Amino acid sequence: MNAKAGQGSLSVLPARRTRLIAFLAAVWIALVLSLGAWWITLLVRQARQIGELQSLAGSADSAVAAQWASTRRMVVGESSVFLLLLLAVTALLGWLYWRENRRARSMQAFFAAFTHELRTPLTSIRLQAEAIAEGDQRVELARRLLEDSNRLESQIDKTLELARIEGGGPLSEQSVPLRGWLDRTLSSIAATHGPGVEVRMHLDDSLPAILADAAAVQMILRNLLENSVRHARLERVQVRLTARALNGKVLLEYHDNGAGTAVQGRELGRLFGRGAASGGSGVGLYLVRTLMQRMGGRADFYSAPGEGFRAELCFTASAEEPAS
Amino acid sequence: MSGGAHVLVVEDERNVGETLAERLQAAGYRVTLAASAARARLAWRAQTPQLTLLDVGLPDGNGFELAGELRAAVPQSAIIFLTAHGNPEERVRGLELGADDYLTKPFHFRELLLRIQNCLKRAQDLAELPGEMRGVVRIGLAHVDFERFSAEVDGVSHALTHKECAVLRLLASRVGKAVSRDEILDRAWSADEFPTSRTVDNFIVRLRKLVEPDPDEPRLIRSIRGVGYLLTEVLRD
Repeated sequence: MNAKAGQGSLSVLPARRTRLIAFLAAVWIALVLSLGAWWITLLVRQARQIGELQSLAGSADSAVAAQWASTRRMVVGESSVFLLLLLAVTALLGWLYWRENRRARSMQAFFAAFTHELRTPLTSIRLQAEAIAEGDQRVELARRLLEDSNRLESQIDKTLELARIEGGGPLSEQSVPLRGWLDRTLSSIAATHGPGVEVRMHLDDSLPAILADAAAVQMILRNLLENSVRHARLERVQVRLTARALNGKVLLEYHDNGAGTAVQGRELGRLFGRGAASGGSGVGLYLVRTLMQRMGGRADFYSAPGEGFRAELCFTASAEEPAS
Repeated sequence: MSGGAHVLVVEDERNVGETLAERLQAAGYRVTLAASAARARLAWRAQTPQLTLLDVGLPDGNGFELAGELRAAVPQSAIIFLTAHGNPEERVRGLELGADDYLTKPFHFRELLLRIQNCLKRAQDLAELPGEMRGVVRIGLAHVDFERFSAEVDGVSHALTHKECAVLRLLASRVGKAVSRDEILDRAWSADEFPTSRTVDNFIVRLRKLVEPDPDEPRLIRSIRGVGYLLTEVLRD
């Protein structure tokens, strides 16, 4: 045992693990089929014996006949329930295996994407640092360093937030006034992307405060903006943000001028889901959707080639006046 | 060392691409930067690159597929893949597609520079053909044009990678004599790559599929047990 200390189940080679699982599945199916065959044989034999005994006893005694019929029903019923249970357990095990397999593949894809997301800014940072070490003193290099370090920070934040949310970490909901707060927050997030990002806001005058975790809303806005910058692939990314009150809710609409994507509906917010040409890790929009759900709201994403990306965020309006 | 060679940098990450381009220019190369597969195609049509640095993940396509197109369009261009995915399967795939080298991000610029120099030197060696190798020569079923890095078999043209060309040329320059695996490795691979004798065998298998009437019973590229390989015949077209 000590010799294997530190080796978890992950150390089992995938091919060996697959062979082991295939073997166990084969044993289980063989066991189920054997039990089924044995039970059916037993059932047929019992039914025949009951029939023979019944004919021997004759039909005069109706009480005995009823008892024979009851015994037969019990044997048939028990057998059917037993077989159905076996089949249900087999189906459940198959489904669990399929789900676990899909999750493992997703995790593998996530780590590959996560590594890519770390390596790319790291490459840039190293290139800038080497240039500076060799005497290049351009301010542009510092700007790039700053941009890359922001990207690294964002990636790490997203991963930590994902771990926190998946682990059931709590949110601190309070009354958040969107007017003013939204402007300040978005301006500071947009500033990290440089002058190539322009945000226009149209907020209703009578916009109520929302009931939300301010840090979560900040993360949501940051992910959306990052998503736009990454996928728009334009020199100048324009984002339009509108907010209005709607039946006790606050609807925030986010729309960018990017290239858009053919990926549709729930696929856009699927964990570790990445488009064919996507450079992301498949976490950003998942976090947006999950954080909105955790705050009692909803996030819907829409996109089409040539029509940019649109997100509808539906918050619960706060009943109380926000603290000024 | 650079001799003003033209390098095409295909990289969609702006900071990486711009810094690479600036630093390569400072090192004496002429550089064209393309941020997508579409721009890369335009760039190599406008000016033939001697070497292409190719990112695998591009917004409008896959670097591996683009390498195939580049190899067919500009066979003399050496290709170095730059990628953040360093798994062995991708590396092998890249090299099989005709890449001359494969560098995983993050890398040191000096290392990249060294590899660029090695690739350019190999490409230059390949370009300097002795008289008997110029024009089209026939090796078995294939009409091989070393200057164009191509082999025509039954009317179908196949682009040869630089390494395939180097191996075939080495064998063709010693017709009737055995060439050791070590010498093949020395001549076609650089010191900073770590191929094995098995790598040479894989290349030979591919070359046999091209030139031999029956690759399972090779008569043109023969294995010499314990030594290497021997090419039996080269004909002028």
